Amino acid sequence: MQQSKSSPGSIKKKKTATSAKYGKAVKKRLSKTHPIVQLQNVKRIYTLGENKIYALNGVSFAIKKGDFVTIMGSSGSGKSTLLNMIGCLDLPTSGKVKVNNVDLSKLDDDGLTAIRRNNIGFIFQQFNLIPTLTALENVEIPMIFNGESSAKRRKKALAMLKKADLPLEYADHKPNEMSGGQQQRVAIARALANNPPILLADEPTGNLDTKTGHNIMELLRELNAAGTTVIVVTHDPKVEEYAHTTIRIQDGEIIG
Amino acid sequence: MRYELLIALRHIKARKRQTILSVAAIGIAVMILMVSQSFMAGFTQELYSKTIENLPHVVVSPQDDEDYVHLYKNIVDKINNVDGVVASSPYLTGEASFKFKDNTKNAAIKGIIASREDAVSHTKDDIIKGNYDELTYSDKSIIIGDKFAEDMELDIGDNVEVSFPNANPVSLKVIAIYDTGTELDSSLAYTSLKTAQDFYDTEDVINGISLRLADFNRDREIAQLIEDYGYNAAGWTDNNPEILRTIAIETVSNNVTLGFILLIASFGVVSTLNMVVMGKVKEIGILLAMGASKSSIRTIFLIESGILGFAGAVFGTAAGVALALSIGSYPLPEGAYGIDTIPVVVRIGDVLTIITIVFLLNLLAGLYPAQRAANLDPVEAISTH
Repeated sequence: MQQSKSSPGSIKKKKTATSAKYGKAVKKRLSKTHPIVQLQNVKRIYTLGENKIYALNGVSFAIKKGDFVTIMGSSGSGKSTLLNMIGCLDLPTSGKVKVNNVDLSKLDDDGLTAIRRNNIGFIFQQFNLIPTLTALENVEIPMIFNGESSAKRRKKALAMLKKADLPLEYADHKPNEMSGGQQQRVAIARALANNPPILLADEPTGNLDTKTGHNIMELLRELNAAGTTVIVVTHDPKVEEYAHTTIRIQDGEIIG
Repeated sequence: MRYELLIALRHIKARKRQTILSVAAIGIAVMILMVSQSFMAGFTQELYSKTIENLPHVVVSPQDDEDYVHLYKNIVDKINNVDGVVASSPYLTGEASFKFKDNTKNAAIKGIIASREDAVSHTKDDIIKGNYDELTYSDKSIIIGDKFAEDMELDIGDNVEVSFPNANPVSLKVIAIYDTGTELDSSLAYTSLKTAQDFYDTEDVINGISLRLADFNRDREIAQLIEDYGYNAAGWTDNNPEILRTIAIETVSNNVTLGFILLIASFGVVSTLNMVVMGKVKEIGILLAMGASKSSIRTIFLIESGILGFAGAVFGTAAGVALALSIGSYPLPEGAYGIDTIPVVVRIGDVLTIITIVFLLNLLAGLYPAQRAANLDPVEAISTH
């Protein structure tokens, strides 16, 4: 984290020289709608001893508001790194990431936290619910961070669980008392808690059987139809069928 | 309720076994702390009651270059009016040779006014045989220590010959025997002030005044007041520095030991919380991804260590007080140590101090793991665990 935190300053200078070039490329890929996520020549380099590993090697693209995007790639292709960038969990070694038109490199930890809290809902392959909290409390967590009152939280969390099609009798269940599909629904309800414009899903069907996976993707499609931008990282071609746009990534570079 | 508190409580509730173990670790340390603090307080109180209670708190002696205090009645009146002085006892003391049958002994003889000496030094309490008050109305009488009596084969009613160069030899009748448990028992005999003055042939003089104070901690202050009148005066802390030294050594060694115990308990908290942080890496990552700020994460773990510390402090103190009181009520074999039970004093101030210090120490101990948790990289936390 420290590494990436200190680097943006130096990146910015380099970037101004190249931004014109990549700006054009970005525009070409974009429709007229305002892009909600924008990456310009993003590099993420990990240093392992003497070796430099290019997890992302000059990635540029933009995602317009309301799109349903899959980022496809095999494991180790850099797609998870990309997801972390968009999710404001990681900062690029060089290049620019803009979320909702805010340049992340200009933000400190608190700024990143705020952007993350208000713009991004995360859905993970492992569901990543907090095991000691009930379904309802898990959904309340992001709202708590947003400073909402407890009565309002409860009401909203129940609404979100309903939106995610979780039978309400499970609201008081702990994660280990629910099936994988139910847990993922709770996770989606949690991701929706603060009405983020972007849903970021990392292999959301990876731990689910085909039928449940299909149901979850249908749910994401419904949410997308209602206006949420959905970005799904996957290597599963079946998931791609739900998307409007697909970004393919290989060895840290976009191939299509 | 703040959510940091909610999450911290959930953590604590979810790991019952670790919670009990870490509270017990702190609790045991605090219990030891509480018990030894009670012993320390009891020991100090016992030492005070055995020594300082029976010591003159301030001793007034003649002016420099003088052997005696003349016109002492005026001075005694003046001193009695000093605020904080509750009793005074003028005395004339000196050396004398004692002879009974074939036994001889050199010892100190102290001429006193029986009731006033008792008011200052509780001399009457030490009498094991005979009648102390007889000293008031019967001339030519003497009170000796039990060791003195043993050495000289003396008993109540015997007459001992007392003499000294330049003194008027006299025969004194043993009217009482005392036992203080100190070396005075073989080296000091009491007689009436009048008898002592006759013996040394010094009419109407004394060579010292013992004082008892309402608060023995004011000894130096009152000694100074009396010195301002032109006499030499010294408090018990100057006359018996070994008592203060004993208490100081006890206190210091006690506190050092207690400090180490607390340190161990605090390290217990650090390692427990560190383990908690390691076990919660993924959860912390999730919370960060859900929009928790670093300071929230830090607060969660600080609250946890605070709660563990407070619980440990409260349980430990309760257990310590119970243990100390039960040890304190256990009867010792009679006469073996000169006390019936181990002296134990539980002071509410000690209880509150210990709880506060342990609580604060645990908060401090929680800082490192809390900071570690706050500085976790959410990406690594979520993906690698």
